[in-house]
Amino acid sequence: MSDSETTAAEAPQVAAEAQDAAPTETPGGSSPTETPGGSSPTETPGGSSPTETPGGSSPTETPGGSSPTETPAAPPRAPGPRSRGSAQSGSRHRDARRPRHRRPRLLAHRDARRLLAHRDARRPLAHAPEVSTDVAPTRRARRRPEPKPAAEVKETQEVEEPPPKTPSESTVSQAGWGYWGSWGKSILSTATSTVATVGQGLSHVIEKAETSLGIPSPTELSAQVEEEEKQQASSPEGDASSETDGAVGGAMGMFSSLTSVVQSTGKTMISGGLDALEFIGKKTMDVIAEGDPGFKKTKGLRFHNSTLSQVLREAKEQEELQTAEGEASDSEKKVVAHYGMLFDEFQGLSHLEALEILSRESESKVKSVLTTLSGEERLQLRKELESIRESFSLVEFDDEDVDEQKDEDGSEFEEELTKALDGLSVSTTAGKLSKACKSASSLISEMSRPEEEAEAGEELVKKTASVEEVHAAAIRSLAELTARSIELFHKLAEMILFSSGSTEAGVLSQLTVVLCREISLLSKKFTSCLTTAGSNEKRDVLNPLITGVFLEASNSASYIQDAFQLLRPILEISHIQRTADSAEQ
Amino acid sequence: MFCFCGSGVSLTKPTERQTEPQTCRATDSRVMEAIWLYQFRLIVIGDSTVGKSCLIRRFTEGRFAQVSDPTVGVDFFSRLVEIEPGKRIKLQIWDTAGQERFRSITRAYYRNSVGGLLLFDITNRRSFQNVHDWLEEARSHVQPHSIVFLLVGHKCDLEAQRQVSRQEAEKLAGAYGMRYIETSARDAINVEHAFTELTRDIFALVRTGDITIQEGWEGVKSGFVPNVVHSSEEVTKSDRRCLC
Repeated sequence: MSDSETTAAEAPQVAAEAQDAAPTETPGGSSPTETPGGSSPTETPGGSSPTETPGGSSPTETPGGSSPTETPAAPPRAPGPRSRGSAQSGSRHRDARRPRHRRPRLLAHRDARRLLAHRDARRPLAHAPEVSTDVAPTRRARRRPEPKPAAEVKETQEVEEPPPKTPSESTVSQAGWGYWGSWGKSILSTATSTVATVGQGLSHVIEKAETSLGIPSPTELSAQVEEEEKQQASSPEGDASSETDGAVGGAMGMFSSLTSVVQSTGKTMISGGLDALEFIGKKTMDVIAEGDPGFKKTKGLRFHNSTLSQVLREAKEQEELQTAEGEASDSEKKVVAHYGMLFDEFQGLSHLEALEILSRESESKVKSVLTTLSGEERLQLRKELESIRESFSLVEFDDEDVDEQKDEDGSEFEEELTKALDGLSVSTTAGKLSKACKSASSLISEMSRPEEEAEAGEELVKKTASVEEVHAAAIRSLAELTARSIELFHKLAEMILFSSGSTEAGVLSQLTVVLCREISLLSKKFTSCLTTAGSNEKRDVLNPLITGVFLEASNSASYIQDAFQLLRPILEISHIQRTADSAEQ
Repeated sequence: MFCFCGSGVSLTKPTERQTEPQTCRATDSRVMEAIWLYQFRLIVIGDSTVGKSCLIRRFTEGRFAQVSDPTVGVDFFSRLVEIEPGKRIKLQIWDTAGQERFRSITRAYYRNSVGGLLLFDITNRRSFQNVHDWLEEARSHVQPHSIVFLLVGHKCDLEAQRQVSRQEAEKLAGAYGMRYIETSARDAINVEHAFTELTRDIFALVRTGDITIQEGWEGVKSGFVPNVVHSSEEVTKSDRRCLC
């Protein structure tokens, strides 16, 4: 399995350059977008298209050649430092992943602490302390006693010590706020196959960060956008002012923008390898999340190999357990929305599991085909498969600026979806997805309707929705949309397997981008809805709810991206079959 | 405290469909849904157009769809059944495509099922003749696990067009150690019965230990039960979490 490494080694400078250059194009939103079709239909309105879908795939790998879209012959971007991590983990079996992460653990921690210390020290914002107890106490109380490996315990303690400062941090310092965002980004966009845990971790970092590091609470994030923008702009380091949307964007801003900040933190960071950065981030999250019982959803699973559906199933079971217990103890219960249970209710788990089955089967078929081939044929096939892999590992899922005003009723989403799915004959499933999206949009507009208007219209509908109701609606919508997305991927997998037509990885990644963007958009709308509905609520009521929505949104995006990765072996085996078919004729 | 005498839940009626955006109302039923002893995964197989999806829809949604598109790959449904007072089983039903062209895909789905309904259409002799092939295919793909099948003669409302007699169907079922039930999704005949019988059979096997919960196998999963029924043998026997 050293193929991917060799590829990476072969492209030393160019790859690094390409990686360096890539982020600069993005923040403006006006970058020349490389879409697989290269034709207008894929271009998204507003010029905010999700930037380069895999350009790495060269025309050679589409032997069918029957597809109308021709991949632009972009300079082959061999996996650079940033993508290597995921290319590798993609090419290995899931099982192989853990050991790789183990080794540099301690080192990573040290670095992470430095970064944390720095984050804390340099943070230009003033409203920190008041929010510091938002989430922690209640959550902590529910912590599940669980035997931890000794090492983990030790590390947790380490992190809790007052972090030392060293002068060498200066390269990082100017990031200010944005620093977090950029971690999030790199993790979300590249490490997709591990995100089941990491995505979770990320959100918890945010949660934890609010409480211990003094990062503004989610309320402020979504409400005080402008203020922060101002502060950022006036920060002495200046560089940060170049982003208009930044961390400031609130909602997904945390995860989805700020590439420019990575740049401004200096080349050293980048040449040190973005995967190292990613790695530091992951580990830090692991550690921080140790203190966060919310993480219990996945915690147990991180110690043995687990598939995405197992993670989700565990989350669901946990919730069911809680529900059952809670109901037994107090009969009067508030509206609670459990993402995991809802996700299952929408049959998301089943589709995911079925997709995993297909993916696993295809993977082993690909392997067995490879072992039966020899010499030249095998090399050739390897090369072809590698290019499929590449197009799965180079995808940027995050959209730089998701415009909240956009797509009022979900129709734009439907349009994009239809475009992305053109010719893939999964219209029924896609229809379900658009419907889910539309009903979410209408829920939002209903709930965010000005009070007077609602009262004038119908008296029975009573006042505006309570924060709990909005929260429940948000979680439910996210769960439904995610479940439907997974269903769509599952159906796509089935269609790809039984039809002999060729499906481009680019189309699928485009679809993933569209879906993730929709999730992000929805979560933004819901949180601003929450902020409005909760204007009279106390912080400690509102904040956990908002955090909850962000958390599930980031989880949703991770699940979707993971599901996308599950399609890789399916495309591979489909490619092999097609090649074999054409050889026979 | 919980009432465990089986009242109140939508057991005989299908659970609410999720397509309705009922934001916050469903808490009660959801809470109840959370409480089941086991989850069994069932797979439904048989020739195309024998009425697999219609049968499942009748069972889970309580209605009969006049028109239905051919299933692509596999679809999913779930419902709770109460096999004894206070003992609920969650059925997760995998509805497979009958069309030959999907066969290579649906094959992959057999392994994680503990039971199945093997359908044929009593007005279509060919679908009856294929029962043997279906059975063979299923048996070979569930290895190393075994699977409990129930033979279902569907569309029994169309008595006039019957091409397969009850006797020969029963004989075939007996030869393979299956039960035989005739159902009609359109007239809602025996639909409930078919699923409940199969569930009972599986439950009996689980109870005697002939079928065990296994890590990495999704056929049978144990659910959560409040303390009330905690002492019952099934719960203490299962290797899963204990709520003391």
